[in-house]
Amino acid sequence: MLDIIIYGAVISAVYALLAVGFTLIFGVARILNLAHGAFYALGAYCVYTLTANLHVPLVIAAVIAVLLVALFGIAMERVLVRPLRRLPPLAVLMMTLAVGLMVEQILLLIFGSEARNVPSLVESSFNFGGVLLSGQRLLAFFCSVAILGGLWLFMQHTRLGAAILAVSQDPEGARYMGIPSDRIFSIVMGLSAAIAAAAGVLVAPFQSVIPGMGLLPLVKAFAIVIVGGLGSIPGSIVGALLLGYTETIVAFKASIEWSQIVSVAAVLIVLIIRPAGFFGKRAAF
Amino acid sequence: MLKTIAPVVAGSALIAAALAVPARAEDKPILLGINTALQLQVGRDTLDGVRMAVEEINAKGGLIGRKLEVVTADEGESPKEGVAAVNKLTGDNNVNVLIGGYDSGVTLAELPHISRAQTIFLGTGSASPAIQQKVKDDYANYKYLFRVNPINSAKQAASLMDFIKGKLKGDLGYSKISILGENAKWVQDMVPYLKRNATEAGLEVPFAEFFDPQTADFSPIFAKVKDSGSQYLLIILSHAASDVFVKQWYDAKVPVPIGGIDVKSQDADFFKRVGGKAISEVTTNFVLRQPITEKSIPWWDAFVKKYNRAPVYSAAGAYDAVYVYADAVTRAKTTDADPVIKELEKTDYVSPRGRVKFDALHEVQDGPGNVNVIYVQWQNDGDRAVVWPKEVASGKMIDPPWMMKN
Repeated sequence: MLDIIIYGAVISAVYALLAVGFTLIFGVARILNLAHGAFYALGAYCVYTLTANLHVPLVIAAVIAVLLVALFGIAMERVLVRPLRRLPPLAVLMMTLAVGLMVEQILLLIFGSEARNVPSLVESSFNFGGVLLSGQRLLAFFCSVAILGGLWLFMQHTRLGAAILAVSQDPEGARYMGIPSDRIFSIVMGLSAAIAAAAGVLVAPFQSVIPGMGLLPLVKAFAIVIVGGLGSIPGSIVGALLLGYTETIVAFKASIEWSQIVSVAAVLIVLIIRPAGFFGKRAAF
Repeated sequence: MLKTIAPVVAGSALIAAALAVPARAEDKPILLGINTALQLQVGRDTLDGVRMAVEEINAKGGLIGRKLEVVTADEGESPKEGVAAVNKLTGDNNVNVLIGGYDSGVTLAELPHISRAQTIFLGTGSASPAIQQKVKDDYANYKYLFRVNPINSAKQAASLMDFIKGKLKGDLGYSKISILGENAKWVQDMVPYLKRNATEAGLEVPFAEFFDPQTADFSPIFAKVKDSGSQYLLIILSHAASDVFVKQWYDAKVPVPIGGIDVKSQDADFFKRVGGKAISEVTTNFVLRQPITEKSIPWWDAFVKKYNRAPVYSAAGAYDAVYVYADAVTRAKTTDADPVIKELEKTDYVSPRGRVKFDALHEVQDGPGNVNVIYVQWQNDGDRAVVWPKEVASGKMIDPPWMMKN
C-alpha cells in the first residue's frame, strides 16, 4: 500500500508537470501543441550534450537546458506559429506536429537511435518504510511540486500572471485593455516549453534518452488534459493524480502490462461521459 | 548547324555501341547486400564485420577471380522498411547474397520476398526458430535461408535453463528466482518453458511476468520481485529500453541481482551508456576476447585496431557469414544460388565464435566445439568476465555493489 502511495505520487507529479505546460498554451493561445513532447526531449538532450560533451556541471547544465528550450519555444511561436494564426486552427496544429517530427529526426541524425545517459543529480537512494526510492525520483517529485507551486504563485500574484489569465479569459477584451496578446502568447509558449524541458531534465536520468522519447509524454499529457479539461490548470493536476495513481494501482495489483492501457481507457470514458473533461468549461472538440 | 551534326553523332553512337564488348559476369564484382538495422550498434557492427572480411578477401585477390563489393539498405526495426530494403537490394542492386537481419518480426516479413528473389540470405541477428522452420516446411522455396548467427531462441532457452540449474542453483545455491520478459513473441514462448523447467528442477518461481517494451517505469516490478523474496531476477529483453531498466534497478538498489538475455547490454559501450549502472548484470553473448577458438583473440584485436572499439556479437556473425559464403562459392566455383546452397549445407568452418555447421533447417549448430552461448557479467570499470559455462569462465560472478558482503 505504501509503495503505491509513494510511487503514485512521483509519477503523478511528473505527469502534472507535463500536462500543465500543455494545457497552459491551449488555455491562453488555443494552440494544441503537438511539439510539446519535443520540448521534453530537447530538455533531456540539451543536458546530455552539456554534461557529456561540454563537461558543464550538472546543475548548471539543467538550468541552461531549460532556458535554451524556453527560447526555442518562443522562437517557434514567433517564427512558425504566429504567421499561421489567421488561418484555420488546423494549420497551427499541423505546424506543431511538423516541428515535433522535425526535432525527432534532427536528434536521430545527430545522436543516432541509441539511448544516451544523463547522470543523476542525486545518486543515493532512500528507504521509506521498506519502500526503496531513488534520490533522483525524490528530486523529480519535489522539483515538480515546487515548479507547480511557483507557477500558481506567478499566475496569481504577478502583473504578468494576471495579464496571462486575462488573455486566456478574453483575448479581445485583454487587447482593448492594452495587454499585448501576441507577446503574451510568446511568453506562455516559452513558459510551457520551459516546464516540459524541466520535466525532461528531471526524468532523463531514470528514463530513456532516445530521439522518440517525446511521444509517450505527449500522449500522457494529452490524456490528462482531456480527463481534466483542456485549458484548465487545476483540471490537469487532478487528471495527473487520477491517471498516475490508477496506472500505479493497476501495475501493482494487476500487471504492469495493463497499466499502459489506463490512459487510453480514461480518455475514451471521459470523452463519452463528459467531453469537456472534469474541469473544462466546454468541449474542446 | 544542329541538323548537320545530328547524323554524325547518331552514326558514331551506333558504331560505338557495335564495338562495345558486353561486360562478362566474371568481370563484375560479387555483390553482398547488407539488410539490417543500420541505426543500431548491432547493425553498424554487422556492416563493419562484413567490411572487415571483404577487405581481407579482396586483399588476397577476391573470390573466384572477382572482387567483393558491399551494398547496404537500412531495414530499421519495422517490417515495412525491412521488405523495402530487401526489394531494393535484390531488385535494384541485384545482389548475389543477402547478409543481415536483426528483428525476427522484420525478418519473417522479408522471407517471401527473399524467396521470390531466389537470393541466398545469411541471417546474422534474428533469433526466432520460425525463420528456419520455413526451410523444413517448404525447402524448394525457402532453401535460400541460412542462420549463421545467433543461436535460435529455443536453443537459447535451453541454454538459460543450463545457466539456471548449473550456475544459479548449482554454484550459488539459489532456490527462488523470478522471471521477467518483454512482451514479444519469442519471449512469450520462452517464459513458460523456463518457469516449468525451473520448477521441475526444484526452484521456486514466485513471479513470472511480461511487460510492454514501451514501459517507462519499472518500480512496480522491482517492488514485486523484492517482496517475493527472490534471490535472482532472470530477464529476457531485446527491444525494450534496457538502459531504463538497468538504471532504475541500480538507482533503487533493488536487493536482487539481474541477468539473462539483454540484447542491448551485449553492446560493448552499454556500460558507459548507462553510466556504469549495469554493474553485475549478466547477459548472454556469443563472442568476447576469450580463446573460444584460435581465431577468437586475433579477430577481436584486429577489429578493435581497425574500428577503435570492441565489437558486438553481430560483428563476429557477419564476419563469419562472409567467409562461410566465400568458402561455399569457392567450392561451387560459381555464385549461382543452387550450387552454392549445396556447398553451404556442407559448411564446416572454424570461426572466432566456434565451429560453424548447419543442421537440416540451415540453422547454425550449437554444442561442444560449435557456436555457443556464453554468460558475460559487467564488472568493475566496465570490464567483462565470462561467468558461465564453467569450461570457458574467465572470472568469478560478483554481486551488485549494495549487496556485497564485507
